[in-house]
Amino acid sequence: MGPVTGARMVVEALEREGVRHVFGYPGGAIMPVYDALPGSSLQHILVRHEQAAALAADAYGRVTGQPGVCIATSGPGATNLVTGIANAFLDSAPLVAITGQVATPLIGTDAFQEVDIFGITLPIVKHSFVVRRTEDIPQVFADAFHIARSGRPGPVLIDLPKDVGMKAALPAEPRVPEEEPSAPDAALIEQANRLIAQARAPILYFGGGIAIARAERALREFAARSGIPSVATLKGLGGIPTDDEGFLGMLGMHGLRAANIAIDQCDLLICVGARFDDRATGKPDTFAPNAEVIHLDGDPAEVGKLRRADVGIAGNIEILLDALDAVPDAAVWRQRCLRQKKMWAPAYDAPGNGVYAPALLKRLSEAAPENTIFTCDVGQHQMWVAQHCRFSRPQAHLTSAGLGTMGYGIPAGIGALLADPSATVITVSGDGSIMMNVQELATLRRYRLPLKILLLDNAQLGMVRQWQELFFDENFSEIDLSDNPDFAEVARAFGIEAFTIDHRSEVEGAVARLLRTPGPILCHARIDPRENVWPLVPPNKANVEMLEKAR
Amino acid sequence: MTGRIHVDFDATEGALLRLVGLVERRGFTVGGLAMHAADGRGALSLDIAARDPGRRLEVVAAQLRRLVEVRNVAILPPEPGAP
Repeated sequence: MGPVTGARMVVEALEREGVRHVFGYPGGAIMPVYDALPGSSLQHILVRHEQAAALAADAYGRVTGQPGVCIATSGPGATNLVTGIANAFLDSAPLVAITGQVATPLIGTDAFQEVDIFGITLPIVKHSFVVRRTEDIPQVFADAFHIARSGRPGPVLIDLPKDVGMKAALPAEPRVPEEEPSAPDAALIEQANRLIAQARAPILYFGGGIAIARAERALREFAARSGIPSVATLKGLGGIPTDDEGFLGMLGMHGLRAANIAIDQCDLLICVGARFDDRATGKPDTFAPNAEVIHLDGDPAEVGKLRRADVGIAGNIEILLDALDAVPDAAVWRQRCLRQKKMWAPAYDAPGNGVYAPALLKRLSEAAPENTIFTCDVGQHQMWVAQHCRFSRPQAHLTSAGLGTMGYGIPAGIGALLADPSATVITVSGDGSIMMNVQELATLRRYRLPLKILLLDNAQLGMVRQWQELFFDENFSEIDLSDNPDFAEVARAFGIEAFTIDHRSEVEGAVARLLRTPGPILCHARIDPRENVWPLVPPNKANVEMLEKAR
Repeated sequence: MTGRIHVDFDATEGALLRLVGLVERRGFTVGGLAMHAADGRGALSLDIAARDPGRRLEVVAAQLRRLVEVRNVAILPPEPGAP
């Protein structure tokens, strides 16, 4: 083989990794790569804002388990990726971001559209490269994909100067790094089994590490054979089906009271693939105050980071869970937990005739087929989705948990539909969030992606309003969105079918229409602006001090 | 909490920035720094102090070990006179 251009090497490297879709937006410094794209096996999805490319690639990676790929040019194209890269970093999603850079001689001269994206993204990438030599491209890409998907996944940035992409060189066959198999520490496993056997009130607390390790089978088998009740973080939802008898619900700030009570009263906390995040633990010294802790995680740096573990084991979560074969004498405790679950189950009989968002989401979730994926934005609707929708697998719930990125929902829906075309994909958004990436309705239209959007519109920044009401003496500041556009008209302007509902009596028809329409569709549901997300743990309070809606 | 951390690493582009940046972002101040790099390998010693008592050297050492270019991290006793 003779010399080929760096840009051609980029395309061939992506093909070698099995990439089928790339999300991007062209511009000056990345033009050599776009020149090499036509004729390749890659389908490029032209988004309307680079942030959406990164967020769609993030969701694509979560669904497939393989790195999603986004491409942007230098300068503003690269900086527009930053939120999406951070989103993937905080939620450990596999992502490879490719940015054009000004030509090597111009780097560091304040050239047109030059920013140090390598430096800007240092705190939010798992790793990053500046490609200095054309012949290095195959190896850099092989390393980038390996790093992005291995261990605890995350985003990897490849910054490609324009001249490196244009120059021709002889490509070398990349070395593919080998995975190192890990065997669990037998002594630690024995200690963990001993703690489980001795426990009388154990709780299984699992998080996003289950989805990363694809460890649902091992988790479910462990829960079944041990009989230990379980709770999940926001990212853990679906690890055990949310309608499983022994699953008590999400824990934490907007978790179910039964889950938080169980954590408070347990004598053994088995944390699997979770990291004692502040949204889950509340005031840390009041979290599981009387419990010994077993912490299993794929990332050694998470074990003992925020809570000392009596037994901490880093490694392959699936292997570790399969090795935990002790069974506690905890039937009485389990029944107590299940009684609490029944006692504190959410109520859906809100007064009035308006659309009650939790009831609408519950109904939509019940009516949706088994292969449904929910994506959501950030705010009140995000918590309602977590509380009231059912999930039978972790990949069924794509949410911006760590970064809390308003604007995630529609790009994530695009990514999910391309990653799994057989899935029914529903994006739940709010009237604040949807405007953050509303331009991606054009992407839906262009690629005829059958995304079903449920927009819950309370004409406010609802979560901020809720906090101002409860914790800032009702000093409502900059939360009014009553001058929102007519969202159904906006969607129609993009060529998307849309309709609006205002009353509870319209919910059943709206759900049916959303689910039976073959193309993209938006349901604009006006909801009560005074509705809050309940329950709620106030700031600096213990989880058991959570506030409930008046019942 | 104060201490000295020694890091052996692959001296690739940006490695020093990545290492020192991580230590500062994770709640430590750097009071002293010594580095040597040759033949693609680097050795870095940092005298660091926690900004608040909740930060532990073991945690930041584990976070450094996560970096792709890091080969080894050791926690050493602080040098006499170091912050």
